Amino acid sequence: MSVGSSSIRIDAHAKTTGEAQYPGDRAPAHALAARVVFTDQPHARLLRLDVAKAEQMPGVIAVFTGRDVPVNEYGLTEFDQPVFVSIEHTGRTKVESDISRWEADHLALVVADTDEQATAAAAMIEADWAQLPIVADIDQALAPNASLVHPELKLDSNIYHTYKIRKGSIDAAWADAAVIIETTYELPYQEHAYLQPEAAVSYIDEEGRVTLEVAGQWAHEDQEQIAHALDLPVDQVRVIYPAIGGAFGGREDMSLQIVLGLAALRLAERGEHRPIASRWSREESIVGHHKRHRGRIHAKWGADSNGKLVAVQSEAWLDAGAYNYTTNKVLGNCHLGQAGPYEVPNAQIDSHAVYTNSVPGGAFRGFGGPQAAFAAESQMNKLAEALGIDPVEIRLRNAVHDGSIGITQTVMPAGVTMLQVIERCASESQFHQPLTPAEPFSPFASLPPVEGDLLRGRGFACSFKNVGFSFGFPERCEATIVLHGKPDSPTAERGELFHAGADVGQGAHTAFLQMAAEATGLAFENMTGGFSDTSSSGDSGSASASRLTFMSGNSILGAAEAADKAWRNGDRPAVGHFRYVPPPTEALDPETGAGAPNFSYGYVAQTVELTVDRATGHIVVDRVVSTHDVGRAINPANVIGQIEGAVVQAHGYALSERLQVENGRVLNPRFSTYLIPGIGDVPTRIESVVLELADPNGPWGARGMAEMPFMTYAPAVVAALHDATGVWFDSFPLTPDRVTAVLAQAAAPSSSGR
Amino acid sequence: MIPAAFEYVRAGSAEEAIGLIGEHGEDAKFLAGGHSLLPLMKLRLAQPTVLVDIGRVTDLSYIRDGGDHIAIGALTRHMDIENSQLLRADVPLLAHAASHVGDPQVRHRGTIGGSLAHADPASDLPATTLALGATYVAQGPNGTRQIAAGDFYQGFLTSSLEPDEMLTEIRVPKMNGAGWSFQKFNRRAQDWAIVGVAAWRRNGDSGVALVNMGSTPVLASSVSTALAGGASIEDAAQQAAAEADPQADLNASIEYRTHLAKVLVKRALTEASN
Repeated sequence: MSVGSSSIRIDAHAKTTGEAQYPGDRAPAHALAARVVFTDQPHARLLRLDVAKAEQMPGVIAVFTGRDVPVNEYGLTEFDQPVFVSIEHTGRTKVESDISRWEADHLALVVADTDEQATAAAAMIEADWAQLPIVADIDQALAPNASLVHPELKLDSNIYHTYKIRKGSIDAAWADAAVIIETTYELPYQEHAYLQPEAAVSYIDEEGRVTLEVAGQWAHEDQEQIAHALDLPVDQVRVIYPAIGGAFGGREDMSLQIVLGLAALRLAERGEHRPIASRWSREESIVGHHKRHRGRIHAKWGADSNGKLVAVQSEAWLDAGAYNYTTNKVLGNCHLGQAGPYEVPNAQIDSHAVYTNSVPGGAFRGFGGPQAAFAAESQMNKLAEALGIDPVEIRLRNAVHDGSIGITQTVMPAGVTMLQVIERCASESQFHQPLTPAEPFSPFASLPPVEGDLLRGRGFACSFKNVGFSFGFPERCEATIVLHGKPDSPTAERGELFHAGADVGQGAHTAFLQMAAEATGLAFENMTGGFSDTSSSGDSGSASASRLTFMSGNSILGAAEAADKAWRNGDRPAVGHFRYVPPPTEALDPETGAGAPNFSYGYVAQTVELTVDRATGHIVVDRVVSTHDVGRAINPANVIGQIEGAVVQAHGYALSERLQVENGRVLNPRFSTYLIPGIGDVPTRIESVVLELADPNGPWGARGMAEMPFMTYAPAVVAALHDATGVWFDSFPLTPDRVTAVLAQAAAPSSSGR
Repeated sequence: MIPAAFEYVRAGSAEEAIGLIGEHGEDAKFLAGGHSLLPLMKLRLAQPTVLVDIGRVTDLSYIRDGGDHIAIGALTRHMDIENSQLLRADVPLLAHAASHVGDPQVRHRGTIGGSLAHADPASDLPATTLALGATYVAQGPNGTRQIAAGDFYQGFLTSSLEPDEMLTEIRVPKMNGAGWSFQKFNRRAQDWAIVGVAAWRRNGDSGVALVNMGSTPVLASSVSTALAGGASIEDAAQQAAAEADPQADLNASIEYRTHLAKVLVKRALTEASN
């Protein structure tokens, strides 16, 4: 059996020895060097741009600006961003290209013989700007008479997208509530902090295609965006992903793809055929790509005396930053999550996307779900406290199950296992046993235990996350399997799988080959792969939305069946191609939010135990029990790796990662001041509990699981901190200075925690 | 993250090093373990034109009993200080503090002389030697002189060393059984201290110094004065920041640093009194 075994990853050897080639390793010695010049202007109109001096600098091959771009616009979901901020334009864009709306908008690309020469020339570019009012955050964006970030949209405010839910009648329902909890939650940014900063190599390949070797999450979507801006037929653009050093949603949008593609196209027209390479520094990466959205959620929940929810009223604002990226989609997911995985008879939910001149918000593991889950799970924990009901029990009384009507007034997709996951998490973590006393702690061994200052607490949270694209967005995934062997043999000797799905470090390609081996009956060792090249594979959709195993597995099952049929027809080699299309989803009704937005969910519950030093505010998470229904663990070791990785990433989100953005500028684009957890900071114990309750549509029953461990961690930590201190924290990260300040405020007479 | 171009010369002895520094003038810097200077050079906050590498002046790596003090060669690495039986017996505070400098890689390369001469208020050993009342020995073209730790730190990354002087030895008084404590609080394990405290206490005497609570390491004299006057630990700790001038940065506010100093001084004195 290949499926269900922890096969050693096919990339393990190369990555361990350092032989694996990431985009930054792909530049040949003779490659030209390119540097992207950011505008460094959060909001300003370009008055004059002069690159003449830069062009005269030693070694400079070319300086590309907006005048060189055939269609000077791009965007994953909307074309709302210029490739280069430019006065000159071809008149083919709807966005005003002469305005910089973000400090990391691109102004030019300098290509030279060496990186040093390109850097020196970049400093010689002259630009004059007329400053425009900077809309720094949600408050400024929503203020009366606020400056508009995108006046060309002719909207009357910076809110440019709103989802609604109207279910039942909340006004009548409040009367049935024994307890009402109302809170405003502030949600922070998060930086992806993938190990490999943005890098790419571009050239014209042997078939004349503009070719990019780059790290991304959806090769065919990159290909489309590059082709759009360069005004080329899609098949004249080729995208190849070599090894990818992490993504987490942060590589869904363009970085170097279009500008390096443009350079390859334009230089080839001049007879210059050397490849062009570029890589961003860590600072450029943090300043230059989108973040998990910061936002605000105001929630009012009511429950009856038995703890049954009677009404949920919620309003959310996500800071989209200067451009949409995937904000409208992230917002939709945040929208659905605000009522939690619960049966809610009456609901009124409004969710807004807000333009500002800050760094764009976009995809990041959980895709709007973690922000919503923080509010929803904190609300549920507060209701439990107010009613004197156990936090596990109140969830069991409210959680969705098979046949439940979801918040969008349609029946949940079959295979709802929230109750089983909650129960299993509670039992595995001994949630109802007394906590042991605080032990002397510290990863910083210089801190001795101090009696009385160390407090322990335990918290619980549960959640769900959709698998696959939502709201009717076209969903598909293609696979090709080629079987080789003797003409007279009833079985093949070996097989090849061609698949575009991105292995961003999560082990996807290993799982693909395990599933292909299982589906064809071949041994894992006899199945090889050709991956992530638009010239050899069909569209797989993205490595995102916890969808890739689900979607690729179904595409592989279809391709194997087709290949087997070809084999039995005598084809040698036997080729099978399949395009899997999952059950359809629907866009929500604009006024009521009614509709069936998703076809599958994964379910999670977590128990967190922590110790807090109330004098310094330092928190050590002692134990996390992360419980998941993954449907079927294709590769159990990699499933546990995903759980542990997500918990550690969420630990940074909850406790230490504070991106400081003021007046449109990131102040701490370095890991010395933007603090991701190190090995001495992560939870002392992470226990992964994996349930395999099959999804009816999943390949071998598999559900997605990559985002789910992230969803519940921050609210579970906050619940544990409340258990320890008696104080609720409605904003995070729980940095030690915040913890001490909130505890001091709560201890002061006539005040409440915040 | 790549330093500006520089010239590199290697010295075989302290005399040779001082001669080379004199020859190359003010734009030359000594390179010892390279764990303070090189990061600054990578950020281009320091751009020396000449580096005089003293890393192979091995006769400056030693730990010796000097009677009432322990003498430590300036090029002794943190790991050797941490593991010295002599220091563990006679100056346990310093040995312990050295074990909390950076991470094992840093402690295997970084030297005590380099750390002190760099005069970074966020480093652990300047404040620790200050609390202990250490004396530093500097060698220049005209011979050697002794500098009290309290006179050494002039400002941020600024010491009283002349440009052509080199730190050669650190003399740390034996602690003679004093109680002691080293408290280091950081937001991320193995990171720089947000605030640190080195303290010792013996009968009515005490020494308390603070890490990262000003532009130099700070001797918290008011705490010692209060203790000598019979104040409780709780009350003395309230004086923790009296001599300090903490700065706000991206990792902590002035208020939080001040709060931490009081908490950590209280804990340090409690531990040192047990």
